[in-house]
Amino acid sequence: MEFVYRFLKKLIWIYAGMRERISRGWIQKNSSRIREWELMAYAYSKSPIGVIGGLIVSITFILAVIGPMISWEPYWEYKIVINETYRYMPPCLPPSCSGSPLLGTDEWGRDLLAMSLYGVRISFVISIVVVLLGAPLGIILGLIAGYKGGLVDEVIMRLTDIFLAFPGLVLAIAFASVLPQRIRGLLESNDLLRAFFAGLFGLREKEYAQIAALISIWLAMVIVWWPGYARIVRGSVLSVREMPFIEAAKLSGLSTWSILFKHILPNVISPILVMMTFDIATATLFAAALSFLGLGPQEPVPELGFIISKAGYWFPESSSHVVIYLGIVLLTMALGWNLLGDALRDVLDPRTRRAIEYRLEEKEKRG
Amino acid sequence: MGLGSFIARRLITFIPTLLGVLLVTYLIAYAIPTDPVRAWVGEKLMNPQTLEQIKAKYKFNAPWYEQFTFLMQELLTGQLEDPVRHRNVFDEISERFGVTVEVAIIGFLFLVAIGIPLGLLAAVFKDTPLDFAVRIMALVGSSLPAFVLYYFLILLLFVNIRTTYLAGIPEPTLDCKITIASLPQTIPVIGHVAAAFGKIPMFAGIMCGEFNVVGDTFRRLYLPGLALGLLNGGFIARIVRNSLLDALSAEFIVYAKARGLRRLSVWKHALKNAMVPVVTVLGLNFGGLLSGAIIAETVFNIPGIGRYMYEAIMRLNFPVIIACTFLVAIVYVTVNLVVDILYAIIDPRIRY
Repeated sequence: MEFVYRFLKKLIWIYAGMRERISRGWIQKNSSRIREWELMAYAYSKSPIGVIGGLIVSITFILAVIGPMISWEPYWEYKIVINETYRYMPPCLPPSCSGSPLLGTDEWGRDLLAMSLYGVRISFVISIVVVLLGAPLGIILGLIAGYKGGLVDEVIMRLTDIFLAFPGLVLAIAFASVLPQRIRGLLESNDLLRAFFAGLFGLREKEYAQIAALISIWLAMVIVWWPGYARIVRGSVLSVREMPFIEAAKLSGLSTWSILFKHILPNVISPILVMMTFDIATATLFAAALSFLGLGPQEPVPELGFIISKAGYWFPESSSHVVIYLGIVLLTMALGWNLLGDALRDVLDPRTRRAIEYRLEEKEKRG
Repeated sequence: MGLGSFIARRLITFIPTLLGVLLVTYLIAYAIPTDPVRAWVGEKLMNPQTLEQIKAKYKFNAPWYEQFTFLMQELLTGQLEDPVRHRNVFDEISERFGVTVEVAIIGFLFLVAIGIPLGLLAAVFKDTPLDFAVRIMALVGSSLPAFVLYYFLILLLFVNIRTTYLAGIPEPTLDCKITIASLPQTIPVIGHVAAAFGKIPMFAGIMCGEFNVVGDTFRRLYLPGLALGLLNGGFIARIVRNSLLDALSAEFIVYAKARGLRRLSVWKHALKNAMVPVVTVLGLNFGGLLSGAIIAETVFNIPGIGRYMYEAIMRLNFPVIIACTFLVAIVYVTVNLVVDILYAIIDPRIRY
């Protein structure tokens, strides 16, 4: 796994070089931090689980970016209109039947492999954005609640309690049934917004009604997602708040915001990063589950969970290949993030990182 | 501070949480732009007069806070009616919640039976292929879309080997139901509790000695339970393993070893201390199950609380939505409280 280490090291130094160009002397000032990063990169490259996870995530990322562009079949063309036999064609390997879809077709006779390329983009975008919007919201509220204490803390934590006591799926379902109409109106009237979201999900602008459904799942999930972060961040802030270096920062007259973000946040962020990585996997599955229940986009959008739910009616007689293949796609996407998170937990935890460093030195000594 | 006052204090903080949940639910329902009454009645039976009657009954023409207080009154006095089924919401909920409890109990049994032994084995055989396999099982379990696993379990254990069935829910005989319903009159206080538990078919079967109901229930519902055990068992096993290893390296274990205790009793010390995080996770899992596993109930065709909630949302049936979220919120806060109390019992260092 030497190349992973070298690659990450190069990335670190490119970043350091950029910082150096902005402000002189940055590398010298932060040499210990760079060394720590290098050690993290080393610890990461030593974990086969993490490297496999990183590889899967990179591949899904690339597929998500280029998928809708390289997909050889438009998702809005139903082949069964031409010929009924296209419905749920079983997969077949090239020598026996060249020309027909490799992994079979779905309900509308569309090539499953081509459809999954669109589906990967949709799942990827939703899961990433849910976590990237939900986590910071929770982190900021948790920081404020933990640091300010008193009434602010009480109000924020009661709010968090309310959202935690709320059945997540119910909130998401309720949102998914309420929001689409409103968002559809917004997309209908605003060309720029429509083009932006269509491009983001790799769909046609014509499908704005379905895009509205996607966005509403999205917003619903963000609202379900933040309370967990708020609670955990608050807990760790409480233990950091009383430390001498925070006292020192206060005495030196720093503003509350810069104490929060420059001194407290870096000390509580590691477990949060790990949690975010795991949550991207959960969000992928959660979004698929929502569209499985029929709350997401409808025809013709090739959302993975939605195609599986359609195939479920004919399972296992004619559609088992759809459930198997798309199930594997979802499993792989989520597994990539979970493997990455599992390795990151070790890498970001200073104790285990030291252990890795120590084991390495021992090994070198022995030979 | 004693445990009693701790519970009392917690119970008081529940009230704003529960009220907040209800208010948020209501506001979401209120924000629905379409007319819910049309969705309840259905397009064909629409008679303007009936519509007006229903609207007046649920105070749709009044401002939102009046509607809200009306719904709260009905909810707290137990008179809320399901406008689609024309039935008291609580009757419907108590039937369906009984089924959900059964699913939760069976799922929980599988979770414990798979998770805890695997976790102990992984801790004993640390850093061996077995430990690695448990780690992989945890990761795959949390990455597998639940519905795909459900389909394959159905294919294997229902279509290929007929070990289960996917329709109906086993019920005790009518005589048994009548006996249990009359319990509150015959025995003063305990009777009410017994009758409440008797709403759960499995328990009713046990109370009347009809053990075939229990067996049938298990046969009907073991598939979702097994799925849950397979999906979350690895995760539980990891937590058992990690907390046991943490406990084994703690100072009191070193002391216990130094005292010359036998291996078995050293393990007993460690196990008791390792159980605190395990109890939390298991407790929260059980709470999650009690809130109704919507997807499992859909795929396995189980008439539980999750399914009811889902159908209610699809029909904008918000008297039912409110009642169900109320129930789920109560379950959530109660489970949290029970977990906290269990802490104190397991770990005497924690006192409130």
